[in-house]
Amino acid sequence: MKRNMRGWLIWIPMIGALAIAPQVLGAFEITIVLGMAIFALFSISLNLLLSFAGLLSFGHAMFFAAGAYGTVFALEYIQGVPLLPAVLIGALSAAFLALALSPLLVRASGHTFAMLTMAFSQIMYAIVMKYSTITGGNDGISGFPIPALGIPGIGDIDMTMERNFYYAAITILGISAWVMWFFTRTPFGSIMISMRDNPERVAYLGFNVSISKAVVLVVSAWFAGVAGSVYALFQNMVSVDGVLGPMSSFTPLINCFIGGLGTFIGPVFGTGIGTMLTELMSAHPEQAQLVFSFVLILLVLFLPGGVMTLYWKVAAKWMVLQNRIQSAFLKGNHG
Amino acid sequence: MADSRKRQSSILEIDGLNHYFGERQVLFDIGLQIQEGTRHAIIGPNGAGKTTLFNTITGKFKPTGGAVLFKGKEVTGFKPDKLSRRGLGRSFQINSTFANLTTFQNLRMAILAKENIRFNFFRNLDKMHRITAETDAFLTRVGLMAERNQPANLLSYGKHRCLELSLAMAIDPDLVLLDEPAAGMSREETHQMVKLIRDLTRDKTVVIIEHDMDVVFSLADRITVLHHGEILATGSPEEIRTNQAVKSAYLGETEVGDVA
Repeated sequence: MKRNMRGWLIWIPMIGALAIAPQVLGAFEITIVLGMAIFALFSISLNLLLSFAGLLSFGHAMFFAAGAYGTVFALEYIQGVPLLPAVLIGALSAAFLALALSPLLVRASGHTFAMLTMAFSQIMYAIVMKYSTITGGNDGISGFPIPALGIPGIGDIDMTMERNFYYAAITILGISAWVMWFFTRTPFGSIMISMRDNPERVAYLGFNVSISKAVVLVVSAWFAGVAGSVYALFQNMVSVDGVLGPMSSFTPLINCFIGGLGTFIGPVFGTGIGTMLTELMSAHPEQAQLVFSFVLILLVLFLPGGVMTLYWKVAAKWMVLQNRIQSAFLKGNHG
Repeated sequence: MADSRKRQSSILEIDGLNHYFGERQVLFDIGLQIQEGTRHAIIGPNGAGKTTLFNTITGKFKPTGGAVLFKGKEVTGFKPDKLSRRGLGRSFQINSTFANLTTFQNLRMAILAKENIRFNFFRNLDKMHRITAETDAFLTRVGLMAERNQPANLLSYGKHRCLELSLAMAIDPDLVLLDEPAAGMSREETHQMVKLIRDLTRDKTVVIIEHDMDVVFSLADRITVLHHGEILATGSPEEIRTNQAVKSAYLGETEVGDVA
């Protein structure tokens, strides 16, 4: 019961803040918040592999990109496709990519898995560049139509209006994050977590490790695809360096490390801090990487478990304080 | 008493099993029949190939040659998960649990396997009360209830060993291969372990690797002696105790089971 309460202490303010953000923030700040939310979902999907299944991916951007290109192609080539099906097509593209690669990927783990994912993501980069007549290559595709969101009973909501788009996007991202959280709590989720600790024993208990790994990959890719799809809609543009560039796979990874591995919510905080840093340094992009590296070094030295450890430390101190106040109060009553 | 446990059919048959590590042959033409309902011990000095034999039976390695029949069907080289679903379980010589999960979460994995709950994405596991109750019942049975919420890697060695055995037994296998369940335990802990094995393997078929002769002679209905990858002898404990070849090869001139 108490555990649940503590969970809600994180969730309620976060949901509340996201809900009122457009009322109190300017248009520019809203785009930052939305960008943050998109990369938070991307980082959570990566963290599902990293912290829960124990698989380090250096090429997660390929699923993000598959989601972005899938949605953009749907909007470009399917006449009058509604918004949600377009997002769905993006997510499906990413999931199918993961499914197609899974026969190779499930055989690998550790460094091999990391290198293999990086290689596949590089191959995808090359393919997108090669077929630049379709993908737009470096220039990308932009200016595609953003359809209205049709909700039965309410009617069409104009998605070109920033505030409307913000609420729609935040809802999609939020539901996706919740589904992934729930996924970790299901019986299959516990198989996934056990695979991280000891895949051999999971097999000896009678679970098929390869198929289970493939399922985790597909789920993680699906949500990376959702993030990529929303990103493309948000930017109204997709380009190879925007979604498949060298940092596209590493930024979410760094966010996971900043936030703290092993927790579900960590990457969200990591993305928040990462985005803030990038924005603060946006006037001096040349020095941004330098500052970023410096922060990472400090983090590794003083908070190796990520900022989430700070939260646990504060929570633990708070509990001690609470107990002390309680016992002092009881003593006072006695006297 | 041993005879009353025996039924006629053999649950596991190993025929002409050979295994190589690269150029080196480690198992030579192993032939074994494990009768259903018996406890069969495999003994032999270090490096005799006992654990390798387990690994080839349970599909960790595909044997270089020979056949393994489980419940009358050929299962040679089947993967561990497939064999496990058919009712063949094993425990490990070196604890192989889920180190960062609690004792409860560890055992719950085995209960999920037993209940055949695998690709379930729609329920919150913590709210599946039947699974929780069943896991708790098993924890109580094996005496791990006090350690229920401790991570496995913080358990004392004896308790961890108990969890290792429990993981193998909680999936309710028909045949279980136990790899030195009492390894590294004190006298008292070993005594407890033997009691636990007796309790958990009632009505099951057991193949057990063990160095502790106390354990071997108090548990086993039959004993096989493995030496340099070959079977030296198979027989009742009494036959093995007095077998001349076993005496000279395995224990010098001391009688096997003298310590017992």
